Amino acid sequence: MDTVATPVTAVPARTRPFSDWLTGLQGQALLLKSITTLVIAAGAAVIMVPLLFMLATSVKDRDQLRQSPPPLIPMAAVTVEVNGEQEPLYRVTMDGQTREMALIKNRPQGKGLFVDPANPDQTYELVIAEQTQIKRLEIHWENYAEALSQMKFNSLLLNTLVVTFAGMAGMLFSCSLVAYGFSRFRAPWINVLFLVLLSTIMLPGQVRLIPTYVFFNKLGWVDTLLPLIVPQFFANAYDVFLLRQFFMSIPLELDDAAKIDGASPLQVLMYVILPQARPALVTVAIFHFLYAWNDFYEPLIYLHSPQNWTLAVGLQTFNALYAVNTHYIMAASVVMILPPIILYFLAQRIFTQGVVFSGVKG
Amino acid sequence: MQLSHPRLAWSLTRREAAWAYAFIAPWLIGFVVFTVGPMIASLYFSFTDYNIVDTPRWIGAANFVNLFRDELFWRSLGITLKYAAFVLPLGLVISYLVAVLLNQKVPGVNLWRTVYFLPSVVAGVAVALLWSRIFDPKFGILNPFLALFGIKGPGWLSDPDWAIPALVIMSLWSVGGSIIIYLAGLQGVPTDLYDAAKVDGATTWQRFRHVTLPMTTPVIFYNLVLGLIGTFQFFTEVYVLTGGAGGPARSTLFYNLYLYQNAFKYFHMGYASTMAWVLFTIVLGLTLLIFRSSDIWVYYEGQLKGR
Amino acid sequence: MTHKSIRLTLSLLTLGGLLLAACGGGATPTQAPPPTQPPAEQPTQPPAAGEKVKVVIFVGMGTGTDPDQIDAQTQLAEKFNSAHDQIEIEFLIVPHEEYATRYLAMLSGGNAPQLVGPNGVQSVAEFFDTWEDITPYIQAENYDLSDFYGPAVTLNEYPDKNTGLPLGLYPSFIFYNKDLFDAAGLDYPTHDFDDTSWTMDKLREDAMKLTLDKNGKNAAEADFDPENIVQFGYDDSWDGMRGTLTMWDAPTIGRPVSDDYKTALVNSPEWLYGLQWLSDGIWEDHFVGSLAVQQARDAVGVDPFGPGTTAMFYSHTWFMAEGLKELSFEADIAPLPFNQKGHRIARIDADNFTIPKDAQHKQEAWEVMKWLASPEIIVEVCQIYGCIPARKSVQEQYLETLKQDYPGIDYDVIFTSIDYLDDPNNEAFVPEWSKIDEALNNSLSLVYTGDEKDAKKVLDGANAEVQKVLDEYWAAHP
Repeated sequence: MDTVATPVTAVPARTRPFSDWLTGLQGQALLLKSITTLVIAAGAAVIMVPLLFMLATSVKDRDQLRQSPPPLIPMAAVTVEVNGEQEPLYRVTMDGQTREMALIKNRPQGKGLFVDPANPDQTYELVIAEQTQIKRLEIHWENYAEALSQMKFNSLLLNTLVVTFAGMAGMLFSCSLVAYGFSRFRAPWINVLFLVLLSTIMLPGQVRLIPTYVFFNKLGWVDTLLPLIVPQFFANAYDVFLLRQFFMSIPLELDDAAKIDGASPLQVLMYVILPQARPALVTVAIFHFLYAWNDFYEPLIYLHSPQNWTLAVGLQTFNALYAVNTHYIMAASVVMILPPIILYFLAQRIFTQGVVFSGVKG
Repeated sequence: MQLSHPRLAWSLTRREAAWAYAFIAPWLIGFVVFTVGPMIASLYFSFTDYNIVDTPRWIGAANFVNLFRDELFWRSLGITLKYAAFVLPLGLVISYLVAVLLNQKVPGVNLWRTVYFLPSVVAGVAVALLWSRIFDPKFGILNPFLALFGIKGPGWLSDPDWAIPALVIMSLWSVGGSIIIYLAGLQGVPTDLYDAAKVDGATTWQRFRHVTLPMTTPVIFYNLVLGLIGTFQFFTEVYVLTGGAGGPARSTLFYNLYLYQNAFKYFHMGYASTMAWVLFTIVLGLTLLIFRSSDIWVYYEGQLKGR
Repeated sequence: MTHKSIRLTLSLLTLGGLLLAACGGGATPTQAPPPTQPPAEQPTQPPAAGEKVKVVIFVGMGTGTDPDQIDAQTQLAEKFNSAHDQIEIEFLIVPHEEYATRYLAMLSGGNAPQLVGPNGVQSVAEFFDTWEDITPYIQAENYDLSDFYGPAVTLNEYPDKNTGLPLGLYPSFIFYNKDLFDAAGLDYPTHDFDDTSWTMDKLREDAMKLTLDKNGKNAAEADFDPENIVQFGYDDSWDGMRGTLTMWDAPTIGRPVSDDYKTALVNSPEWLYGLQWLSDGIWEDHFVGSLAVQQARDAVGVDPFGPGTTAMFYSHTWFMAEGLKELSFEADIAPLPFNQKGHRIARIDADNFTIPKDAQHKQEAWEVMKWLASPEIIVEVCQIYGCIPARKSVQEQYLETLKQDYPGIDYDVIFTSIDYLDDPNNEAFVPEWSKIDEALNNSLSLVYTGDEKDAKKVLDGANAEVQKVLDEYWAAHP
């Protein structure tokens, strides 16, 4: 109202003490957010512990794996050459002095023979437990190269990608259609059919394995990737169920609006339902990726030749009867985690866009 | 749409049903081609003595009778139920709460979500090896950690009494999958509902109780049903951890593991099929119960009338 | 990306995927067949003129699935294929966990492999009814078996069939850690097979002195701390109940079932003695590690011997490939001690290749079996699988490879141990082989967990279970 210019050094309209602000709405929100972040971080730390192990084990060599108790950080004994043999190095306290000596032989009563590597003829008998073994950080990154090449990673990767993406396409296509049918229509027996769909996963797969194998064998599909891909084009209970739940959460108003405009059911699906169900579609896609990526049960039965194997099958060869190569298993597993995780991280963007649905009246 | 002409109304219903079946057709065709045959075959096997190599020999209900007399059948069922009784509720609640937390706009939320998701991405054989390391009573992680609080940890996987709790803990580590589904559900709650609630002066808790929870019941329902089906078929990790033996001292002889042993180690495929169908009946029964109850507690925004 | 373009991309990916998959050898889908019965006997088809017969060798019942072994077997196949123009072989590698499912699936599906192996006595027993009897093949050409070790041949001979030519043997002996013996001031175990002072009692005595707690006290001393053991004197954890107790000289040695397969003999006095010896060894004298100790090792995938925490480990030649490589201490091998009856029974594992009855081209399979077991090739095959060739004439040649791979050990122990093998073998056939084995191993786990330390209770319970299994079997198969 007053057109007189106010002085530049304006004084803030109100000030309040910090404590007031803290207990006020904004302060409460910040407190809540901090606590939330803390809880999440604590949980994340717990979750990460086994995974850090995995990483640590993947860069150890056989000797380090054998250490008892196995250390979390990959340390290895420092050795020095004495008389043509590699002997472990210790920090030894003798006559008030600390020197580095090598342990060349164990003696009874917990004692051992130590020598100065520079002067190996002079031996000293000392109590081993009173000395400190010298260890150093030893990381074997070459485990990764070794594991991946032994596993024939590149060819397995191709197979796995084919199975995963072809299956994903088939699944998205068929499950959208089927879930739509189960959620947006009335029909006789449709509820019964839905239960039949669910019941297909209630029967343990082991007892269907042989008849299914015989069937695929008759088709000539054994030792090809087909048994892993083709059935995906005919929907599956898990993804249909999830999509159906999502579709049923979408209000009917837009459907009806589109129908009034003359849209066919298929158009309603494509232009009304699916765009709104994006988080669900991304979710089932990720889940399918994960399932196909790690599945070894079916591939083990149908894929005979090593050149047709998927990654999950190749991983099993490190778990052989007399030789469990834990470091290679871990290295290969770490590499196998990366694609799904990257995919998930990227998919977050589609995820978090969410549904800001303000109803028909917008 | 209401129409007064009865014949038009009848053909409209007919048309709707036709569309329904058309959309469901991909599944129906696949079911007939790939699934129903082996399912019926296994039902047939359950009435036979079948060692896979020779022709099945019809023995009527003998398998069922023997099954109910089999001490290991009851034992494996008990073990599975005990496991499910812990994992199902704990898993459901924990993953839901974590999802709610991860749905907030906290710094680095994308990173946190990825971390929680990581465990469900790791290959089964690696998971088993990792956890057997963690549960090592002497040199693992868990017991030394408990010792910090003065608790003497048990033998976990080497102690028949603690093997199942160990498996429960291991399973809860990988709830990342359920968390994702809950996240998707939470993302799908229309924000204008929250706005309206805020305008009405609802507190955080009230918003959770009256907007978030009801609107996410469809995914809770999903996780409950699939969780039930999944826990009853728990198999892979136990198999890897115990070398298929269900030890120590048969304390981890889960139902599906005992089924697998009967099918592929003892070559009693008929008996295994019987086990499969008994499990099927139990799970189907429980699922039907849950479905029945869903009318009371599950809310679908887009539910059709007359369903 | 719009929805339409996503769909388009996915459809293209799918097409591409299908094309790629089809290149893997798929056929066009035909009408779905009705629910299945296992196929009838497969008629043998003679190969078309000029076409090579394919012999598929199913590997995975035992060893052979390690990546190194896979490569070696590929090379072996090339060696065969370049020298033969009518037969070609292909090794089908099946990860060990899946051997049963895959084998049965292939049998049911009518595409049985031509050869299966290397088979231990266990997998021969598990699938006993599916193997072809090779006696007619041997007799038809008067095949000479004299070069094979006698015991190796008899291990493959059953009342109604001979399951295959002997391929390799895995005798057993004690692996011992010389450094630990030095540290304890003990003499190494004798290598003299006729030294009767080397008994299981003596082993126990030594083992107790070789079991140390974290303060360096051994198990024979009064202030020994059993809660903090850092080193064990003896371990035999890599075998099941039959393997562990076969050394104790029960009347049927390694097969706790009577000759007519009708009576369970699990709770024989000898097995009682042996199991109590083991139980006391774990829980009274503390020189054997419990289940917790074993699991700790399994969790990091290490063996009992390599970490240097076990002074004496009882195992077979197949362990050498892992257990004697890259050791940080000096090791050697010694004979198994004499048992409580003054006999030595050193269990043996034996491998062969077998031919499934339902396979096609069995004659060609027989040719390949002969080739693998031939004096020229057997050493190379055994190097892949880690077994002692079952032929006497190649012993010298194999010894040379042993000297290269494992310098500094007493090779005589390996070959002489063969003479003391267990017959009936600890993996020998019984009806319901797996079910009985599972019952026995479950009972053994009661001892290893300490759930039941009284051997009598354990074995009586096991005996009742095994008898029940046998009774049910015979009731269904009169």
